[in-house]
Amino acid sequence: MFKRLIVDAAYFLQTSKRYQSRKQFFRNLLENNKYKYKKYVDIFMIVLIFMSVAVLIREVKHPIHDYMFYFNSYVISFIFFIEYLLRFWIHSSVSKIIVDRAEHDSFLSRNINLLKAFKKIISVKLSYIFSITAIIDFLAIMPFFHELRLLRLFILFRVFKLFRYANSFQTLASVLATKKFEFFTLAIFASIVIFVSSVLIYVMEANNPSSPIDTLFEAVYWSIVTISTVGYGDVTPVTFEGRVVAIIVIIAGIAVLAFTTSLVVSAFTEKLDEIREVKTVEDISKLKSFYLVCGYESVAQDVVRKLSKHHKDIIILDEDSARVERAKSDGFTALNYPPGKLESYKKLHINIEKQVKAVLCLYESDVENVYTALTVRSLSKEIFILSLLMENSNRKKLEFTGINKIVYPQELIGLVTRELIGQPVAFEIIHELRSETSNVKITELAITQRIIDNFLNTGELGNEAYRVVLLGIHKKATQRFYFNPLKDTLLENGDFLLVIGYNVFIKEFEQHLHTKVRDE
Amino acid sequence: MSKSSALIFGFNNYAIEILKNVEKEYDNVKIYSLDEENISNEEYEISHFDLSDDWQEIEEEIDIDNSIAFCILEDTAENIFLTISLRASYEKLSIIAIASHKENANKLLMAGANKVIPLVETTADIITNMLENPISNSVLHAILYETSALKIAQIKIGKDSHFKDEELSSIDWGHYNGIIVLSVMHKDMSSEFIYSSKAKRHVMEEGDVLVVVGYEADIKEFEKKIGSNRYVNWSNWSW
Repeated sequence: MFKRLIVDAAYFLQTSKRYQSRKQFFRNLLENNKYKYKKYVDIFMIVLIFMSVAVLIREVKHPIHDYMFYFNSYVISFIFFIEYLLRFWIHSSVSKIIVDRAEHDSFLSRNINLLKAFKKIISVKLSYIFSITAIIDFLAIMPFFHELRLLRLFILFRVFKLFRYANSFQTLASVLATKKFEFFTLAIFASIVIFVSSVLIYVMEANNPSSPIDTLFEAVYWSIVTISTVGYGDVTPVTFEGRVVAIIVIIAGIAVLAFTTSLVVSAFTEKLDEIREVKTVEDISKLKSFYLVCGYESVAQDVVRKLSKHHKDIIILDEDSARVERAKSDGFTALNYPPGKLESYKKLHINIEKQVKAVLCLYESDVENVYTALTVRSLSKEIFILSLLMENSNRKKLEFTGINKIVYPQELIGLVTRELIGQPVAFEIIHELRSETSNVKITELAITQRIIDNFLNTGELGNEAYRVVLLGIHKKATQRFYFNPLKDTLLENGDFLLVIGYNVFIKEFEQHLHTKVRDE
Repeated sequence: MSKSSALIFGFNNYAIEILKNVEKEYDNVKIYSLDEENISNEEYEISHFDLSDDWQEIEEEIDIDNSIAFCILEDTAENIFLTISLRASYEKLSIIAIASHKENANKLLMAGANKVIPLVETTADIITNMLENPISNSVLHAILYETSALKIAQIKIGKDSHFKDEELSSIDWGHYNGIIVLSVMHKDMSSEFIYSSKAKRHVMEEGDVLVVVGYEADIKEFEKKIGSNRYVNWSNWSW
């Protein structure tokens, strides 16, 4: 009966959407670095830690207000206690362990052995309780028992909690962890030197009445101070033998210091690219909308530069590390991931349909572009793909892969040449309007509900007063462009005005459109 | 003055596309290649040329001064050399050259090309506009590549035009239906946007040119009304 009740309760929790979503919410809040609200929790906790330490420092020489004392001892401790419980809760799922055990046993047609499940629960939860971070969390709650004076010093353990909230500390720890073996070797070497030199110096100096080294502790203290090259000078050997030991320890100390420095530096150098990459991927996954440029060759370089002038987010993928370096030195976000491989997109942790505005396959090789486009298409049927075409004979292959827009530079040049000789004026003007350096620009202004609330039709816009030419209107309903529209043309949500003018006047005109002038 | 022949120097994909687009415009379109192997091409009639200053063979067939040349050699240095060589020999020849980048475009202009098309920049411009300004891009594309009846034309103020001696700001453009005036080009070919403060106070003179957008019929009507004619002068291109 009791067993059944527990199994039912476990199944209930395991299948309850409400319970699981709440648990997920707290898991995101406390542990998921990609969750956008986690950083606020982290900042809040960091502030609490610093407040706590500030109170402790102030308390040393000055009396503090009671409310400060209670805030420090009770409020902060209570918040940390809640956090500790939440972390204990989300660390592992008790209900899942019971359900897994129940399913395992019933699959094998056995009686459900809850004892095994409980053993596993205890071992999993204990593994959390005895993890270093959990111990620090627990000690940080201790100042709650402030009556015990020693426990108040546990406030300092709160500082160690900073490791949890600042990612850079975790990075530092992970970097140093890569050199675990080397650090271990170094520690063994240093320990042996310290041990041998402590014993030697104790033997040489302890019986000499003029020597400050009287106990083994003082000998160890002297060894550590010397080997670390700190050398306070408060304890120094006076005998000839003692000084010989000192020379050996000093030389060993230089070796230990040099070895440690080089270990830390090499660990960072080796991991630096990886750290940067992790940070870049994290930043990318937070972007709302960006262009994904595959390949960073000459056309891509120019496209990226122009798009970045429109303040667009751009991510570049290229398997050629030299081109990725070039993109980085040009100031763009680039990753050395092959854009033709699914794994690259998995590593990016992005929702390609929601976050990517368009994928631009800008390799100057049709083979690469087809390969990349097919990979992207396999991820999403909807995403807009634009690709360069280098050889017209490959056009069908590109069309077959489902590329939405194919740009064939040779064809463009053919058309441009025809315009140059046929309509030189139109060519010049249009080139001027499109040019980055020109002051006069052609711009699209979107008609929003706010603009419609202010202006009913194109005649009311008053563009002439703002020295802006209204070339026409693109109607959403008909998907057509109407050149030089009549003054009574109605404005509708989703339409676009095509205007020509100086940048500054267009901006003023846009502001004017959004300013309320009509009375409700 | 319209040119009668087009000379394409270089045989590659660009040559084929240019040929496709310009062959109807000229009585005579010739392709020249540095590579003698191309001469045996069955699909296109190709002649051989070299980078020496000896143009006698071509001169015998074509009135070079009355021609337009497309310098589209893939090797930039050779293309610049060809352009200089043509300009040194023929002052009146119109030269259009293709450059990989803007840096080379400037060199080609210095070498005497009338117009240079920088490949990378042109392609990148078109891609960026497609993505960022899809509507204006399609409208401008339609104007340029004739899929729409909308045109951009320049109209020269003649002796008898009633716009002559009038201040630009005093003209009621609303009177001329279907036409939008974009800019005014002065006699020295510098152009001013219609709403610029300079253009506003400008008094129209004979020889000034108005750049207008409109449908063909409306442009013709406008020409009639103001008593001026369409004007095409493409010998003064500047990039």
